[in-house]
Amino acid sequence: MSDPILALHGLRKSFGPTDIIRGVDLQVRTGERHALIGPNGAGKSTLFHLVSGQLAPSSGAIRFEGREIGGRTPQAINRRGLARSFQITNIFPRLSTYENVRLAVMRAHGLQYAFWKFIDRDRRIREETGRLLDLVRLAAKAGSVAGEMAYSEQRSLEIAMTLASDPRLILLDEPMAGMSHDETEYTSQLIREISAGRTLMIVEHDMDVVFSLSDRISVLVYGQVIATGTPAEIRAHAGVREAYLGDEATP
Amino acid sequence: MEQLLFSLMNGVIYGLLLFMVSAGLTLIFGMMGVLNFAHASFYMLGAYFAYTLQGVAGFWPAVIAAPLLVGLIGVAVERCFLRRVHRHGHAHELLLTFGLSFIIAESIKLFYGNYPVDYRVPAPLDFSAFSIGSTQYPFYRLLMGGIAIAMFIAIYLMLTRTRVGIVVRSAIHRPSMAEALGHNVPLVFMGVFGVGAALAGLAGAVAGAFYTTNPNMALELGVMVFVVVVVGGLGSLAGAMLASLLIGIITSLAVTVDASLADLFALFGAGEWARGIGGLMTLNLSSLAATLPFALMLLVLLVRPGGLLGENG
Amino acid sequence: MRKTLITCVAGAALLAALPFLLSQGLLNAAIQMLIAALFASAYNLLCGQAGMLSFGHAAYFGVGAFATVHAMNAVGGAGLLPTPLMPLAGALGGLVFGAIAGWFATQRSGTYFAMITLAIAELVHSLAPHLKGVFGGEAGISTMRMPTWGYDFGSTTQVYYLTLAWVLTAMALLYLYTRTPLGRLTLGLRENSHRLKFLGYNVHGLSTLVFAISAMFSGMAGGLQVLSNESANYVVFDPSLSAAAVLNTYIGGVQVFLGPAFGAALMTFFGYAISDLTRSWLLYQGILFVLVMMFLPTGLTGLIAITGRLRERHAPARLMPLFVLAAACAVLAGAGTVFTIELLQRLFSQEYRALMQAGAGGPWPAVALFDRSWQPGSPATWGVPLLLFGAAALLYWRCRQILNALADGEPAPSGPAPAQHSEESA
Repeated sequence: MSDPILALHGLRKSFGPTDIIRGVDLQVRTGERHALIGPNGAGKSTLFHLVSGQLAPSSGAIRFEGREIGGRTPQAINRRGLARSFQITNIFPRLSTYENVRLAVMRAHGLQYAFWKFIDRDRRIREETGRLLDLVRLAAKAGSVAGEMAYSEQRSLEIAMTLASDPRLILLDEPMAGMSHDETEYTSQLIREISAGRTLMIVEHDMDVVFSLSDRISVLVYGQVIATGTPAEIRAHAGVREAYLGDEATP
Repeated sequence: MEQLLFSLMNGVIYGLLLFMVSAGLTLIFGMMGVLNFAHASFYMLGAYFAYTLQGVAGFWPAVIAAPLLVGLIGVAVERCFLRRVHRHGHAHELLLTFGLSFIIAESIKLFYGNYPVDYRVPAPLDFSAFSIGSTQYPFYRLLMGGIAIAMFIAIYLMLTRTRVGIVVRSAIHRPSMAEALGHNVPLVFMGVFGVGAALAGLAGAVAGAFYTTNPNMALELGVMVFVVVVVGGLGSLAGAMLASLLIGIITSLAVTVDASLADLFALFGAGEWARGIGGLMTLNLSSLAATLPFALMLLVLLVRPGGLLGENG
Repeated sequence: MRKTLITCVAGAALLAALPFLLSQGLLNAAIQMLIAALFASAYNLLCGQAGMLSFGHAAYFGVGAFATVHAMNAVGGAGLLPTPLMPLAGALGGLVFGAIAGWFATQRSGTYFAMITLAIAELVHSLAPHLKGVFGGEAGISTMRMPTWGYDFGSTTQVYYLTLAWVLTAMALLYLYTRTPLGRLTLGLRENSHRLKFLGYNVHGLSTLVFAISAMFSGMAGGLQVLSNESANYVVFDPSLSAAAVLNTYIGGVQVFLGPAFGAALMTFFGYAISDLTRSWLLYQGILFVLVMMFLPTGLTGLIAITGRLRERHAPARLMPLFVLAAACAVLAGAGTVFTIELLQRLFSQEYRALMQAGAGGPWPAVALFDRSWQPGSPATWGVPLLLFGAAALLYWRCRQILNALADGEPAPSGPAPAQHSEESA
């Protein structure tokens, strides 16, 4: 059994007197699709913020590929191979879709401070950007203004940007939020494709998606993980049913 | 010794004056997220209105009427200008208030001329309150300080003890929630803007008689007010008070110090070397007094970006 | 793309021909216009492209100016560099100071950033008079252009060509910058610097670099001004110069690359031409700025985009009346404003007050305006601006009617407006 790609030990986060994350132990295995579910206010987004560097832990350890990343800056964590998407679409609204993806791609090719070369001439960047746009089926919308696209297209763009740095661990924060059934199907399939060869951690409320997509599920309630296991195990878990799932009709 | 005491008192009173102007600014920023570049212009308008009315109605009626007029102008600015560009974002609002401050300054030059006007402390108030040693202390300075303190107490009581105050505070913290609860938040915004402007106008009406009244007073004070709100923390009234007093005292005390960095180095035996360098080394602290607030601002921004009493980070 | 290139070349050719078309005085004004255009474009790099609103940009212009004047006076007056290369000293000064200041300033964003830039500028402004060795005293520091490469740089024409060469080069560099990775990232800083962090970028480093580059070109502009005026004075750190940069840039419009340059050139020209005619020139500029911010947020060059969009949807025949009416409305409103302000200017001036005191008790003396005499008490005097404003209001109302009719009459657009984003917000 190889080491987990992401390991949280005794992770805590408080804002003043309020404890949001109250001692989380979690391990994500390399190559798996791991879902994080739980009621609203459980702290799922806060957990993502802690892992991606937006927040620093109050105590406890976050280890990515064996190295401590708790408290590091978001850019340092991203360069280590971890990328996240956002629940509320976080793109460059007035730039074109193509430009959005290209900005994400440039960093991965080391183009940050370069003011001595022309970006349009760089074939690698052009091809990589095109490849990502094809992957998320947005090639036709390359010239559109990103902020004016349909919501689901913006969510696809969000995913493309997250992929651009070729991360080994992807965190997707409610990628299906606000989508219709067809859009959810489509995005679900997309996520399956892009997570091939990578590790995925996803927060979602749509239980059909969660149970069909994930290899393992962790349930976060009130700042603590109360259960981790395969979809079948979680479905049968009494504590989870009581806290979150309820007694739905068995499929 | 009495010079030190007087400097201290001058510093405190100047600080209180700064607070009168920056209180409104910090409240408006905390509530609307708009940094009103024209706020110091309200200060200037207060001085000029008081000067104009003084000839017609006497000192005290002028000092009361001028802030009211400025308050009305503040309400008009919020209603007619700011509200219209609100949808374009904060940067746009900032630019608009910048343009308005420009127009106000140029209009003052149009109506009153590009030189100071003779707005003086009225004779009945122009006496010395007390003297220590051989130096007199003007009563008017104490009056300015007293008005500022009275104003602070009034605002504090109003915000914490009255119903209006609670509504205003909730609108500052959670405007949409306050609106959802049925309060007329746009009216509150307009009101706070107007009251903030009136406060600045009052400061101008009172201080303009003592310090000079000229078309540049908005700019000179305006930058200082920004320093205060940054050092104190945007949105924090207590921070504004603390920062105002700090800046007032530092500036006032520095003016009395005739030493320079070279003198400091001389304590360690390196005086000759330091004096040889010249430039910054031989500048007297008294000459640099005006630059100290900016240095303080930069220091605070580096060490405690949220301000002394603001949120951190 | 080709059309733009031809237009640019034609424009450059026209600029090159100016010394043969203009008088010396106007040529001097043209030099100032070029310098202002460069300064505004450098400023736009930071505020329009990177979205960082700086209110103290004169500091970098000024540092560049003093760096240049010292470089020119160095080596016993012979100069550290050949005269034509002197603006490089300004650029270097701006770059170094900009990097330091930018490192501090970009630690915060938005309003805090604006205030830090203001504080830095004010710090320099208040410090400068005391550092006489560096900034000269009230008289400033003067210098002389040294002959180099066979030219003596004594005539205005030579200075003009030198300035033109530098400004065109700098503008070309600034344009090419927008096509580099850093240039695209600059837009990203404006649009969403938060996301850039999660894409692995060091946002503070990027912001500092962009700030420094903007300061570099500002310093170059300062150096060009010193070359032209042969002197530098700490008055250059005055907030009014920073204010001018802000006003010019936004009046011109930040959506188009040449917008700020256009705004700066226009305002400088008007300042030059009109400041002899009226004392209230700055008031007009302020009013124009506020009107633009309220009603025309994309600036004067934004009018091009607006008319372009209108022309796409409607026949020129229907649009002509609208344009004519709009132009007439602007002219009438402008005339009314000018009349009122000039009248007030005279009524409140010192000379008039003296006249009034001389003729105390009688009717108010007449005011001389536009070569005619106006009685302040007579309704005819106030009727003129009222009439002008009234006519302007009528025309404005009519324009709105036409616009509404056009909007209602057209069929609903079938798709989003065609994106003109190949030469987008550079």
